[in-house]
Amino acid sequence: MSVASFQHIAEIEKSPGYWAGVMRRFRRDPVAMIALFVVLALILMAVFAPLVAPADPYRASMLRRLRPIGTEGFPLGTDELGRDMLSRLIHGGRLSLLMGVTPVFIAFFIGSAIGITAGYVGGKVNSVLMRTVDVFFAFPSVLLAIALSGALGAGIFNGLLSLTVVFIPPIARIAESVTTAVRRIEYVEAARASGASSFTIVRVHVLGNVIGPVFVYATGLISVSLILASGLSFLGLGVKPPEPEWGLMLNTLRNAIYVQPWVAALPGLMIFITSISFNLLSDGLRSAMDIKS
Amino acid sequence: MTIESAALLQVNDLTKHFPLSGGFFGRSAGVVRAVDSISFEVAPGETLGIVGESGCGKSTTARLLVNLIEPDSGQVILEGKRVGADMSVRDMRRHMQMVFQDSYASLNPRLTMEDSIAFGPNVNGMARQKALALAHDLLFRVGLEPRRFAGRYPHELSGGQRQRVNIARALAFSPKIVILDEAVSALDKSVEAQVLNLLADLKKELALTYIFISHDLNVVRHMSDRVMVMYLGQVAEIGPVDSLYSSPAHPYTRALLAAMPSMDPDKRTMEAPLAGDPPNPINPPPGCRFHTRCKFAQDVCAKEQPVLHILPHAGHMAACHAHIPHSGHSGLEARA
Repeated sequence: MSVASFQHIAEIEKSPGYWAGVMRRFRRDPVAMIALFVVLALILMAVFAPLVAPADPYRASMLRRLRPIGTEGFPLGTDELGRDMLSRLIHGGRLSLLMGVTPVFIAFFIGSAIGITAGYVGGKVNSVLMRTVDVFFAFPSVLLAIALSGALGAGIFNGLLSLTVVFIPPIARIAESVTTAVRRIEYVEAARASGASSFTIVRVHVLGNVIGPVFVYATGLISVSLILASGLSFLGLGVKPPEPEWGLMLNTLRNAIYVQPWVAALPGLMIFITSISFNLLSDGLRSAMDIKS
Repeated sequence: MTIESAALLQVNDLTKHFPLSGGFFGRSAGVVRAVDSISFEVAPGETLGIVGESGCGKSTTARLLVNLIEPDSGQVILEGKRVGADMSVRDMRRHMQMVFQDSYASLNPRLTMEDSIAFGPNVNGMARQKALALAHDLLFRVGLEPRRFAGRYPHELSGGQRQRVNIARALAFSPKIVILDEAVSALDKSVEAQVLNLLADLKKELALTYIFISHDLNVVRHMSDRVMVMYLGQVAEIGPVDSLYSSPAHPYTRALLAAMPSMDPDKRTMEAPLAGDPPNPINPPPGCRFHTRCKFAQDVCAKEQPVLHILPHAGHMAACHAHIPHSGHSGLEARA
């Protein structure tokens, strides 16, 4: 057979790629766009916290404790030690987002690697990997996070570590089931019939079709991670005072719930807005990635 | 060691039993006898049709031939070289490629057509630019203009166009044998005809040999030089297409042909020629596997397994006691 009589490779009509289509569909989804906007705004707020915050989040004063929302100079009031709530909420986003995103991000790589290996190799390797994962999966995630943090001791790093361990099993689960399904599709069989190595088949044919759904699932976990992280701090296992962090602020302000309920609820409101934004973002991604829609 | 034979492909006693694993510790709860000791030959340049009901082992046979499934026993001999001994599986696959039934599932949704076709040559050491140029050439050969189709994704093509791409991908290795596993079964009739014509043209131009698997007896008759009829993982009958269609020897083949829709109102099928489903391949009946549904069955059929027996017509063989002299069967015509 003659090879290469058509060498006008540059001239072919390129379809817009898969991700270009995803972007187009995502942009048409108003809810997802608002969620994306809120998430970006929260991230920018956290990154540039020292520039955005009107006051020093650590400066306490016994003279101006628990001022209500709308007090002059303190638009969102003050906390139980007289610190500016607005500044503390803005600075609190740094640790809260870090605790929400980092464990999921790390667990995404480790969990995907475990799940794809188990799903593609199958057989005994699958059984050993997935049953090990199941052992961790058997614990309720909150209890596992608390138990691990408790055993490792309080602190940001230990909190991140225990949350990462909590999120590896569900991500590995999803990656394994998607990979098992993809492995049986004929294009993978055709690739095997072409003599490609397992590594090449996973890289070219499996990864691209598995990582999308797993990524969507992982973005949904960010809100869970955020809430768990806040929970750890609330219990005194994550961030330690006087660091501003939403979960910890919720904890220390709970005594003031009858005095200044609106101020005491603010950190919870931030957790709520952030987690629902990540959830809606994940939903938008999911529908934008569905080719047939 | 090479085996002297005129056949391009020779299959000896190919067997695959799928274990039914029961529970966590992999206790074997029996086996599915998907393909049970089948043998056949394919001559260079011919088309061998394989027909049979769903679950008779047609697709398993195809996957065994290209080693997508590891056979339990038996030999696949390509050009006199035993695959796995005298020839590596990888080398064999360069000579023997496969086209699957589901045109959509056969193509990676994230790859463009040119990338899908170029993947095989690329992983076998061809430079990317050269592989892409080859892909464009192949697209042209299967009737798809490269400039329009090379950069497209599977969901932008019709079923017929996708199947043309799958054929192009199979041809990327310049194979000697192409296995078409129900390759046109999912297409509209008009599109099916176009793809069949394309296959016929390609066969002539590239001197290909086809193994054509289908449940559509009309299409198999149109495409094949020889036909093999399978029943429950075994060969029931094999022979030249004219002789097999005009004088089918095995009662199962007769029943299949009688079930064929006819254009002639006088030849309308009045009753179902075969009753019931095929028996469970986990516990196939002893003796002849067809005897539970065969209206010519006699005592011997339930006791002894018939072997392929050479019939008077050249190259025509059937595994039926009625045609084996002194088998204890009184013959088909006695009762029919």
